[in-house]
Amino acid sequence: MNNFIPDEDLLRADLYDFLGALLAFPPEGAVLKQAAELKGDETELGRAISALSRIARAAGPGAVRVEFEALFIGLGRGELLPYASYYMTGFLNEKPLAVLRNDMNRLGIERAPNVYEPEDNIASLCEMMAGMIRGRFNMPAALERQRTFFNAHIAPWAKHFFTDLEGAKSSVFYAPVGSVGRIFMEIEKEAFRMAGDGPH
Amino acid sequence: MTEKTDEGRRSFLKLATVAAPAVAAAAVVTTDEAEAAPETQGEGLRKTAHVKAYLDSARF
Repeated sequence: MNNFIPDEDLLRADLYDFLGALLAFPPEGAVLKQAAELKGDETELGRAISALSRIARAAGPGAVRVEFEALFIGLGRGELLPYASYYMTGFLNEKPLAVLRNDMNRLGIERAPNVYEPEDNIASLCEMMAGMIRGRFNMPAALERQRTFFNAHIAPWAKHFFTDLEGAKSSVFYAPVGSVGRIFMEIEKEAFRMAGDGPH
Repeated sequence: MTEKTDEGRRSFLKLATVAAPAVAAAAVVTTDEAEAAPETQGEGLRKTAHVKAYLDSARF
């Protein structure tokens, strides 16, 4: 294997990074401005990106932060719990988190020392996918490895989460973020299926 | 995985993510800002890396 990463995969990494960044912290000035300048085309993903850009133009950083807190932090808890374990078992810090930690260990990925959140949150998982594609942790991960990771930790729940985010009571800026995520998850699933070892 | 299925996947991705190139720049800016930029204006607690780490740890 060499280190050449095809364009399509770089785009996937960018999308994962973008989603990861928006879901890890509420975006501030420069990021919001950048989001406001995005232009989508007539594809489904493109329309979601246009909607995101339209709302980013209207939203101030303050409003987005309030929204982020209502969605993910809240008093006691936010409207949504963006964790694999919660979506897969109904509880936080359950077996899916343990399985993820094992896999991270095997892939040489570690939680940053200043992060206290369980690793199975959606933003971290997006970062891990981007990192595997780009080879940020190690050598770029072979497609097969990406697929195994995606199928184990993301595919079972991420689409549900993004759909919830689209429809959440508190979502304004995050509604189109949810659409972009949901559509992207469908694309990933289909692409991995095509690369899979189905009937040749 | 054969060459052929990989090609199918690539052309599918090419079509499906054609809207995404613009996102690249945004992702880069996002990552940079997350690392730098303590908040400068505003009264009250400055959001330095320390304060941020504390706030993050206090989330649960």
